[in-house]
Amino acid sequence: MTFLAPWNLAWLGLLVPLGILYVLKRRRQERPVGSTLLWEQALRDLRAERPWKRLTPQVSLLLQALVIVAGSLALARPAGVGRAPRGARTVVVLDVSASMGARVDGERRLDRATAVARSIADALPPGGELMIVEASADPVVRSPFERDATALGRTLDAVQVRGARADLESAVALAADRLQGAPAGSRVVVLTDAALDGTLALDAGAVSVEVQRVGGEAANSAIVDADARARTDDPDRADLFARITHHGPSTADLYVTAHLVGQEAAIASRRVRIAPDTVESVLFTVDLPPDAAGRSPVVELSLAAADGSTDALPEDDRAVVPSPGRGKLPVFLVGTAPAAVERVVRADARVEVFRTSLARLAERDPDAPPLEGLFVYTGDVPAEAPAGDSVVIAPAGDRVFELEVGEETAAPQVLTWDEADPRLRFTSFRDVHLATLRPLVGPAARALVTTSGGSAIATIARSDGETTVLGFDPTRSDWPRQPSFVVFFRNLLERARERRAAGGVPPGTLGEPLRVPAPEGATVAVETPGGETLSAVSRGGLAVVPIPAEPGVFRARVEGGAERFALRSLLDAEESDLRPRLEVTRGGERATGALVEAEEHAESWPWVAGLLLVLLLAEVAWASRREAAA
Amino acid sequence: MSGSLLDPDFIARLERLRLLARRRFAGTAGGARRSTRRGASVEFADHRAYAPGDDIRRIDWNAYARLEELVLRLYVAEEDLTVHLLVDRSASMGFGEPSKLEVAKRLAAALSYVSLAGSERVAVVPFGDRADRPLPPTRGKRRVGHVLRFLDGIQATGETDLAQAVDQFLARRPRPGLVVLLADLLDPGGWTRPLDRLLAEKHEPVLFHVLAAEELDPPSGGDFAFVDSERGTRVEVSLDARARRAYLARLGSFLEEVEGYARKRGISYVRVSGDDALEQALMSYLRAG
Repeated sequence: MTFLAPWNLAWLGLLVPLGILYVLKRRRQERPVGSTLLWEQALRDLRAERPWKRLTPQVSLLLQALVIVAGSLALARPAGVGRAPRGARTVVVLDVSASMGARVDGERRLDRATAVARSIADALPPGGELMIVEASADPVVRSPFERDATALGRTLDAVQVRGARADLESAVALAADRLQGAPAGSRVVVLTDAALDGTLALDAGAVSVEVQRVGGEAANSAIVDADARARTDDPDRADLFARITHHGPSTADLYVTAHLVGQEAAIASRRVRIAPDTVESVLFTVDLPPDAAGRSPVVELSLAAADGSTDALPEDDRAVVPSPGRGKLPVFLVGTAPAAVERVVRADARVEVFRTSLARLAERDPDAPPLEGLFVYTGDVPAEAPAGDSVVIAPAGDRVFELEVGEETAAPQVLTWDEADPRLRFTSFRDVHLATLRPLVGPAARALVTTSGGSAIATIARSDGETTVLGFDPTRSDWPRQPSFVVFFRNLLERARERRAAGGVPPGTLGEPLRVPAPEGATVAVETPGGETLSAVSRGGLAVVPIPAEPGVFRARVEGGAERFALRSLLDAEESDLRPRLEVTRGGERATGALVEAEEHAESWPWVAGLLLVLLLAEVAWASRREAAA
Repeated sequence: MSGSLLDPDFIARLERLRLLARRRFAGTAGGARRSTRRGASVEFADHRAYAPGDDIRRIDWNAYARLEELVLRLYVAEEDLTVHLLVDRSASMGFGEPSKLEVAKRLAAALSYVSLAGSERVAVVPFGDRADRPLPPTRGKRRVGHVLRFLDGIQATGETDLAQAVDQFLARRPRPGLVVLLADLLDPGGWTRPLDRLLAEKHEPVLFHVLAAEELDPPSGGDFAFVDSERGTRVEVSLDARARRAYLARLGSFLEEVEGYARKRGISYVRVSGDDALEQALMSYLRAG
C-alpha cells in the first residue's frame, strides 16, 4: 500500500493536542458548600448507573485518537492495487488547437480539459506516472513522466491554446511510442473538443487509447480569410477582402468593420446577415496611404454581432492584414544578373532596382542600418547570407551559404517540382530544358525543382528570411522564353514584399512563439496587442518569445536595434467550426462509442474529512474540558 | 442582638401557642402539664388499695361502701416540662443565605419563648462534633432574654458528630423531656442512632430539619469544585442536567428517609428552608399542639 497524498499524514499531529487536552485539568471555580455529602452520594449514584463510566474517558480518548488516525490516513489517500495496476503510466494528450479556446457555458474548453487532466493526475495508481503531450501542429511533450501532482498541475497551468490545428494522430503516436514497455494498464487519454475534420485512428499497438471529448456545441462566427490588395488605378487605395462564416442554429446578423491598427476610427464597415454554415464575402475599397514616415499601415478587420452579443471564440473575430503599401521593394542586383532576370524585375512597377557588387557592399559601414530588400546574386555570393530574402543564380563557388554546389552535369531532365510552394505558384517546368546544372546538395536545403542531375532549385529558410538558389544559368535554358519564368520571379518579388510588409518576423499561427531575428545575447521585448510586454534573449541569432493566442500586431523591439512586428490572425475555417465532428476509427473501422464525454471527478471527500477532523478537534476541546458529571 | 432573633409581631403570635408533647414526663416542680406521676390535681387517674401510712383523706368511701375494701383515689399530677434545645452549630450550618444556623437560632428562640411563657423549663445544648457547655434548664418568662443571649452567642464552626454530641448530652442524665433537635443532619456518621438513643432514654425528640435553599434546589450550569465547609473535601461537579438530576434524586431519598424514620417512630418532623419558611413551619408545629 502507498499513500497518494502523504503530506496529509501531518494531520496525525493532532494527536499531540488531543493528548494535551486530556492531560490538562480543567480549571474550576471553587465554591464552598455546607456539605458535599449529598454530592458525593449523587456522583456515586451516577457511577453506579453506568458501571463503565470509569473507563469512559479512556474510551473517549481512544476513539478520538482513532478518528484522527483514520481521518489522517484517509486524507493521505492510501491506495493499493486496484483497477489501475500498480505503476501504470498514463499519457494525456491535450488538444491545444484554436477551437479549444472556445467558451461553452462560461468555461473554456482548454480549462475543462486541464481540469480533467488534473483529476487523472490525482487518481494515478500507486507508482503511476503521467506525461502531458500538447497536440498542436507538432506534438510537444510538456511534461515527462511525473508522479508529483503539484508539478503536473504547474505544467497544466502553463498550457495555452495554439492557433495551429492539432495533429492528434502524431500526438497519439508519440504518446504510444513513449509507452513502449510500460506496465500493463498504461494508457493514452486524448482530451479534445473533437472540432476538427477527418479521422483519428486509434491503432497504437498494444497501448489503450481513450478519447474524451470536452465542451459541447457552440455557435460561432468567424473571419476565415482576409487580404488587402492595392488597386491598380490608385496606389493609395486598396481592396480589403474578408470571408465570413457562421456556424449556429440561426442566421447571424453581423457587422464587419475595418480600421487601421493604432487608430480607433473605422475606415469601413458593413452589416452582413449570414445563414448557418455558409460563407459570405465582403469587399471594402478604402484609402490606405502610408503614414508620415512612409510606413504602410496595418488593417484590422473585426466582427461584431449586431445585438452586441459575443460568440464562443473571440479569437477568430479579428484579423490583421498588411496593407499593400506604397513603398517600392528595393532589389539589389549583385554582380551581373542575366538580362532576362533584370528585365522581369524591372517590369514590376513596385520595385526599385539597384546595381551593386560584393565589393561595394563590403565597404558599407557595419553600423549602418541593414538594407531591407531582395538581393539577387549572380555568380559570387558573400560568406554569410544577408538579412531578408535573397536569390542566387548560377553560383560560382562550391558553396552557397549552407548549401553545397555539385559538379556540373549536362542536359539534366526536370523530374518533379513542388507545386505547393508559393514560389512555384502558377508555374510549370514540364517543358523546361536545361543545358547544364550544378546540383544543390545539403541538409539545410529543400529542393523545389528536382532534375535527373539533382536539385536544380533549392531554398534555405532562416528566421529572418530565405534564400532561393538556382543551380543553373537561366540564359542557358529555354526557361526565360516560357511564362513560368516570369511568374517564378514575380512570385519571389511578391514573397519578399509580403515578408517586408509583415514586419520582418517569420509568419506563424496564432499563439505560436515569435522567432525574432536579433544579435546574439540581445534582449527582445515584445508588446502584445493587449498591451502586455514579454521578452526573451536571443540565442543563435534568434529570440523565441512565447506569446498568447491573441490576434493582432505584436511589436518586437530588439535591444539596440530596429523595431520589427508580426501579424497574427487565426483565419482557419476548420478551427472556427466548433462542432465536434472528429471520427474515431479502430482497425480501419469506425469506432462507435470510442469518443466519450470527459468527466472530471472532483473529489470533495477530502474537504469533508478535513471538516470532520476540525469538528472532532472542537468536540475534543469541548468534551475534554468539560468534567463528566459522573 | 437578641432582638434580631424574635421581633415583636412574631412574639405576639407566639403568645397564644404552647409546645406539643405527645408523651407525659415527670417534672421537677408543679406546672401546667400532666405528669407521669400521681399528684394533686382534680383529674382522676386510678384507684389502689389502701396501705398503712397513706393519706386517709384520699380514701374513696363510696367505693368502701360498695366493696367493703379500703381503696385510695389517685389523681394526675401536673408538673412542668423540660425542653432541651439541641442546636447544631457545626460549620455546615453556616451555609446558606440566611445561614442555616441563623434559622436554627431563630427557631430555638421562638421555641424557648413559647416554652418559658408556658412555665416550662428550657435548656439549650449547642453541639458540633461534641456537646458544648449547655445553658442549664431555666424557667420563667423573665429568663427569655438570658436564653436569647445564649443563643446569639452560638457560632458555626467545627465538624458534626451528632452521635457523640447526643452521647455527651445523655451522659449528663438530663430529666426526660422534649428534645428539640435543630440540625441539617448532613452528618457522615449518621443521624438515626442518636435519635434512637434519645427515644431509648425516654425523651421525646422533635426534629427541625434545617436546610438551605441552595441545597434543596441547586442552580444549574457551571463547573465547580465544591469544598466541604467541615471536612474540606473537594468534589468537582459540572452542573449539567444529569448531575443535577442525580443530586435531586439523592436529596429526595435522604429527605424521604428522614421523614419516614420520624413517622415510624412518632417523632415530630418539621423541615425548614430559609427565613420565609421558618415562621410557617414553626406555627404549623406549635398549632398542632
